[in-house]
Amino acid sequence: MHPTELLRQFEEKARAVQTVVRRVSHWREAVRYAVDLTVERGGRTLAPMNLPPEASQSLEDATPIGTVEILRPPLRNHLQDIHTGLTPADWAIAETGTLVLDSTSEDLRIATMLSEVHVAVVPAGRIRADSLELKGEIASLQKNGPRYVAFISGASRTADIERVLTIGVHGPQELHVLILEEDAS
Amino acid sequence: MIRTPGDVKTYRKELREALQNTFLRQTLDNFAAAYRESRAKAFEGMDLESLIAEIASRKDSALPRLDELLAEFKRNAESVGAVIHEAATAQEANEIIARIAREGGVRKVIKSKSMTAEETFLNDHLEREGLQVTETDLGEWIIQLRREGPSHMVMPAIHLSRHQVAELFARVTGEPMDPDDIEKMVKVARRTLRRAYLEADMGVSGANFAIADSGTLGLVTNEGNARLVTTLPRIHVALVGLDKLVPDLETALTILKALPRNATGQAISTYVTWITGAVECAAAPSGRKELHIVFLDNGRRALAKNPVFSQALRCVRCGACANVCPIYRLVGGHNYGHVYIGAIGLILTAFYHGVENARALVLNCLNCQACKAVCPAGIDLPHLIKNATRHVLDREGRRPLKNVLLRTVLKDRKLFHFLLRKAYLAQKPLAGDEPLLRHLPLFFDKAHGFRSLPVVNPRPLRDRWDRVRPDEKAPRMRVALFGGCLVDFVYPEQAESVLPILEKHAVAVDYPMDQTCCGLPALMAAEKETARDVAVQNIRAFEDSGADWILTLCASCGSHLKENYPKLLGDDPAWKERLQAFTGKVIDLSSFLVKVLKIQPEDFRGTGAKTAYHAPCHLCRGLKVVEEPRKLLDIAGFQYVPAPDEDVCCGFGGSYSLEFPEISAELLKRKLDHVEAAGAELLVTDCPGCVLQLRGGMDKRGGRVRVCHIGEAVGEGLKD
Repeated sequence: MHPTELLRQFEEKARAVQTVVRRVSHWREAVRYAVDLTVERGGRTLAPMNLPPEASQSLEDATPIGTVEILRPPLRNHLQDIHTGLTPADWAIAETGTLVLDSTSEDLRIATMLSEVHVAVVPAGRIRADSLELKGEIASLQKNGPRYVAFISGASRTADIERVLTIGVHGPQELHVLILEEDAS
Repeated sequence: MIRTPGDVKTYRKELREALQNTFLRQTLDNFAAAYRESRAKAFEGMDLESLIAEIASRKDSALPRLDELLAEFKRNAESVGAVIHEAATAQEANEIIARIAREGGVRKVIKSKSMTAEETFLNDHLEREGLQVTETDLGEWIIQLRREGPSHMVMPAIHLSRHQVAELFARVTGEPMDPDDIEKMVKVARRTLRRAYLEADMGVSGANFAIADSGTLGLVTNEGNARLVTTLPRIHVALVGLDKLVPDLETALTILKALPRNATGQAISTYVTWITGAVECAAAPSGRKELHIVFLDNGRRALAKNPVFSQALRCVRCGACANVCPIYRLVGGHNYGHVYIGAIGLILTAFYHGVENARALVLNCLNCQACKAVCPAGIDLPHLIKNATRHVLDREGRRPLKNVLLRTVLKDRKLFHFLLRKAYLAQKPLAGDEPLLRHLPLFFDKAHGFRSLPVVNPRPLRDRWDRVRPDEKAPRMRVALFGGCLVDFVYPEQAESVLPILEKHAVAVDYPMDQTCCGLPALMAAEKETARDVAVQNIRAFEDSGADWILTLCASCGSHLKENYPKLLGDDPAWKERLQAFTGKVIDLSSFLVKVLKIQPEDFRGTGAKTAYHAPCHLCRGLKVVEEPRKLLDIAGFQYVPAPDEDVCCGFGGSYSLEFPEISAELLKRKLDHVEAAGAELLVTDCPGCVLQLRGGMDKRGGRVRVCHIGEAVGEGLKD
């Protein structure tokens, strides 16, 4: 499938499960987005995990002291106060609007599980058509364990009371996916 | 604790109570309609049949190698720090998990949803050991607080209303709860359970997959609770049925393409989590998670080796067999299973929870095939349910009188037909001028009075044959008619009415006199040997007819001849060719008229009557004939008026309607309500059994819609 078509399909499928999808052209923009979103939601903390060096620098610049507190590992110390988790994703799957995250790091897991809002950044070039296209990559991670790999498609949800779809039960209440278009690797 | 009735009488009483639960009925009706739509949408553009075949074949090739896969899994998982345990029984599994908790100094346990833990009643065991166990899946938490079992494999609390949940939450939290604010209630659960996660020392999960070549567990959830259960506490115990072993990630991903789509109509569940070995965990003294994986046998190895039942282990626990079951839809999961519910539950109960819990349950199947048609692993569920019935009978070493009679009578055609003729005499005092019994003979109880019953015909088709058979001098093809008991002895007019059409198209018709009952009633009563005997008689009876086609007006006979005869005789090489020659010729009336004879509108007067259609289970799902009857109505000049749920069972199910009359009556009522609401003046179908049910019900309610076989309607409309 053509990359633009993959991107389009990913956006469509992700939005179908209430994921907010935006295109960004560099990490700086992604960081800005996460900080602004946190402020907008009235959040006071942001837990960045596994960000590339350039993003970490932007984060310093984007968060004036006193607005949003940057939480540092170990996140076990902040289990109850992570508003926004900001992480990269390793791949995305167009067929189902899914993110794939190697979540072996416990801090990364906590940032993506216990935050109210998860903002994930994935390079456009890492979108694949379906999960089977990634079977080699994932299997090789697993053969090199211990490993914790997560497929995430939307925010946490339940329909356990009268089958009424309700978003945000145990995991994040919102999932935002920022597609980084500069990197085609 | 779950209680399942051990006899039909008590079971029927519970079913009657369930039928009074209007909330449940409305909920399950809405769900059935929504499910059908969302599933279709989820699979749109996918080759579902190939996917089902692939899942079936991948599971089938894994099942004979379970021990090999287990050894491989163990090797790989141990190499990355997991501890593997094996439990032969449910009790053993519970004891292992309790011991892990004891040795780890655990006081509080959190759980994500696991049907396997439900199977072993793990919570009860751990609580008896003094542990505090909290379920975290919202539905499971609700039923845990109510001390109930799940009523659905995927939506455990689907039987409860928002009002019931609000009351429960108000009691638990001490705060007032608005039943219409579901979002708020979910937030209450989020808040309350968040504390439980943080305090727990041990997390217990199930697993959807155990991938042998990397020692990986796969978990599929929507709420995200399994992620927290497997991350926060220092100990993680996964209880996994041996049947969850798959060789590789590719197999798991293939199953994952179907599982959420078939379960909830989602392209994928929100979270799919793959755990390989003991990952880092700051809460553990070693800095690594203490990961225990307990593999449960509890009858699975024996099932895997069983040539008939092994396919039950293909089940991926999507719950769809309940979603489409017309009986589940009426009575809900607590009355349609023990721990496992739905069609697969009827089967697994007999093996995992003992024949005493399956005895009554396993009889509650219409054989309507809806479950088989929706199963993502291609499990022949109705077939296995009948075999499970037999398994229960064999285990208990008893035979109901019905079975003994069937065995004796059915294999002796002359005796059987003699008795049918006698039945005419016996019912004579009950029958008026019309061929319907409006009052029931003494041996029925009053629950059977929901429909009038037809009178056995004084002159069966076989006695009339010489008089009515068309005399075709130069036939373009030869057809042998398979009557079936109902057409032969109750409704010979159905067969007679199509003869003029065949005559017009120069078709020679024969009625081989040695034919007998197709044998389906024997198979339904789990008497396989008798069913095989009559199959042999019928194949012999038709061998000398020289017919190009074996035509039947009965969908149930037709699908039994075509689908079940190979199951009954297929393993016998002596019958292989004769069987194929026979089944290859079997055809239903609508397909024959539309596809073989290619009848044309010019042949018919075209009454334009508003006609509703009931799709017999054994035609639309058994023989997979869907379009032809509707085309036939169009060609013959009827105005087809669609009605809801045309392909849902009418409730007849042969002797089912005698065993569970209340369910049968309710299904019939719905069917006729739909037909009347559609404004039909005529209701046609292609099965004399459905005609018996529908006409009897219409008569009883004094309805004005005429009910007849599609062949009668079409035959009557033929131009002279």
